[in-house]
Amino acid sequence: MATLDRSRIRDLMGEVLAARGGTLPADESTELRSLGFRSLDFSELALRVEDETGTELNFDAPGLRRIATVGDVLDFLQDLQAA
Amino acid sequence: MSADDLVPPSSVVLVSGGSRGLGLEIVGDLLGRGVAVAAFARTVTPELDALARKHTGRALVGPVDVTDREAVASFVRTVERELGVVDGLVNNAAVGQDSLHVHTSPDRVASIVTTNLTAPLLLTRLVVRRLLAAGRRGRIVNVTSICAQRGFPGLVTYAATKGAMEAATRALARELRDRVLVNCVAPGFFASEMSAVLGSTQLDQIVRRTPTGHLTEPDEVAPLVRMLLLEHTNVQGQVLTTDGGASI
Repeated sequence: MATLDRSRIRDLMGEVLAARGGTLPADESTELRSLGFRSLDFSELALRVEDETGTELNFDAPGLRRIATVGDVLDFLQDLQAA
Repeated sequence: MSADDLVPPSSVVLVSGGSRGLGLEIVGDLLGRGVAVAAFARTVTPELDALARKHTGRALVGPVDVTDREAVASFVRTVERELGVVDGLVNNAAVGQDSLHVHTSPDRVASIVTTNLTAPLLLTRLVVRRLLAAGRRGRIVNVTSICAQRGFPGLVTYAATKGAMEAATRALARELRDRVLVNCVAPGFFASEMSAVLGSTQLDQIVRRTPTGHLTEPDEVAPLVRMLLLEHTNVQGQVLTTDGGASI
């Protein structure tokens, strides 16, 4: 199964934020709330990752609720691909 | 109106998903009122087993997956043999959901529909066929959810199945007229469910928005189920919501 590395996921996250008029900061501890990155933005990012890997990434909401920072997003999507 | 014209109180009640939570509460409540109760779930918990032992001769429990059609039919036959014709059914067995629709796998969607909608429809069909064949009247209570009436994220398929059960309840009530009373009880979120997925701040916020000031507990739902099974109320095809007024 094809997987995306952290750097590529980060690029895609930057694209999602850019489409909302935002920019992705270098600091991975930045709170998502301060970026206006909401749950549907996360869904869009996950679906973009799916498009590139050709594999569905399905997951329950509790995992999503624990995501608070940029780093959490990248960790979550990396872990999900590895699962 | 003579007593012969009314649907009598249920005397043998079958409860699906009776091993824990609300199902277990309903089983205990009905047994405590002298009703014969049969209950099944995928696993018979020690609590359900203890209830059955306490009420030997009036209780029957078994490990049955509600989606296993043959096992369900076999259990119903056993209930008829040991307790009598089932004249009360509580469709309580269900699986939950906590995932956004776009991130819920097709298999998971199908599985929720199978357990929460197809299985109770088929169990209802089976019980009603036995009931009518025996020339009897009966009562059915479908446990649905506030999710059938109000939108909540992460519960798309679950809500669809519960809404469908409420729609089926109304159609069944029309079909079965004065032979079988078919109603729903729709609880709000239980405190135990909510605390498992929400933080204390979110939980406090929900409680503040609930007029009664507390989330629904299983022992507040069981009396409604009991009323629909045992009392003369002329309630037919309805949904009784118990959520502390949160949805008003």
